[in-house]
Amino acid sequence: MGAQQVAAAQPLLIGLLLLWSSYGKFANADQTERTALPRLVGESRAKAAYRTVGGIEALVALALLLPPALTVEAAAAAVLAAGFTGYLIYAKIVVPEASCGCLSASEKPIGRRAIGRALLLLATAAAAIPASAGWWSAGSAAVVLVPEAAAFVMLSAELDRCWLLPLRRFRIRLSHPLAGTATDKAPLSATQRRLLLSPAYRSVDGLLRSDIRDYWDDEDWRFVSYTARYDGRPATAVFAVPHHESAPESVRVAVVDETSGLTLYRPTVLATAG
Amino acid sequence: MTATMDRRALLTRAALGATGLVAASAMGSLAPETAFAAAQQHPEPGQPDPNFAEGLVTGRNQDLLQVQGSDGRLHRIQLTGVTSVWKLRPTTIDQARIGDGLYARGVLLPDGVLAAESVWLNIVNLTVSITAISKSGVQFDHHGSKVIGHVQPGTTAAAYNGTPAVSDLSMLKVGRHAQVIGAWRPGTNEIDIATIYTSN
Repeated sequence: MGAQQVAAAQPLLIGLLLLWSSYGKFANADQTERTALPRLVGESRAKAAYRTVGGIEALVALALLLPPALTVEAAAAAVLAAGFTGYLIYAKIVVPEASCGCLSASEKPIGRRAIGRALLLLATAAAAIPASAGWWSAGSAAVVLVPEAAAFVMLSAELDRCWLLPLRRFRIRLSHPLAGTATDKAPLSATQRRLLLSPAYRSVDGLLRSDIRDYWDDEDWRFVSYTARYDGRPATAVFAVPHHESAPESVRVAVVDETSGLTLYRPTVLATAG
Repeated sequence: MTATMDRRALLTRAALGATGLVAASAMGSLAPETAFAAAQQHPEPGQPDPNFAEGLVTGRNQDLLQVQGSDGRLHRIQLTGVTSVWKLRPTTIDQARIGDGLYARGVLLPDGVLAAESVWLNIVNLTVSITAISKSGVQFDHHGSKVIGHVQPGTTAAAYNGTPAVSDLSMLKVGRHAQVIGAWRPGTNEIDIATIYTSN
């Protein structure tokens, strides 16, 4: 397989990529607003500009894929790829939060991978320029397209869900990195949820003035304190949540004046239960 | 520290009803009306809630915070011994630092200072999808942006399918959607995870 044949094979890959890209621009024209185009060419012209680029891509793609094989086609693809690269770098600097709008609907901002992909497209197009024959005469040299296509896939954030996420899922099924995080201690958010669902909380809800101020464990109970107001004076509401009993009624509460140590308020049912 | 222990001991006894010191009128009914009668929040309709502030902490003079609101307003926020402070977990008032994002609720004093009853520092509530999991944390996709979520042993909890939160994170799965409550690390795209709500 000679250099000529390798060069001749490139238009097949470039053509297919550009067709896909062009399809994305027509099928998801709504995503124009997420790209940098509205900022660069104006709100009203953005969609037209986006579609025009898609149209040029389709034309170049069809020219590359269909006979005759002309050097000017590869040169046009190279110019297009250079334009993409320049646009992406410019957009990343001017509108960093914009998505690339390259291949399909994606919210991801322009990253190094998108620029890398545009550069790879540029290199592929440049490699195709010396070709004197069409891709249909490349023969076994078409094998080089396989690693090239793989590189394009790896640089395409849009395709991560097709290969990268399943790979990570598989890896995690083999051994989960966060296995062994389980402890006997209940997280505070679990305690808080039980608290919020308890009659004790309902009975003092209007007295509470703060979020959780302090919490601690003592034997079979977890205690949670809030700043409260009772009868116009500052107080502390303290809840006791049992570790081993899950009934909402088992949560107890007292409103305490911390300076005197006096209990100001305890709901009756809870008080008699205690 | 001793003061904290004494305080906790007092409150522990009170909550369990083990203390003899009970004010004469302390036994109330369980009815919520009793509690509602004591509520006293009166924001003006159509006006910003005077008892609320948000923004970035730009200065701290002892326990008085200067906060630049995202709407351009400046707030002065007084922290007190009874202010609840959340920074990944309930913590103490000395944890409020310059550069922290802040939400505060309290009482607006006549001199314009907000006496804070509750302060939440760097709290974020994100809807994300899980893109990678490692020993140190979880990587999220937040509407196209990458967010690194750090796991804090002893604090980070997960709630699966709406059930109560547990400390076991081994049921997190790549590709799942999740809601994350966490503490932002200022100036980065990293958070510490408090609770992650997801499906398994």
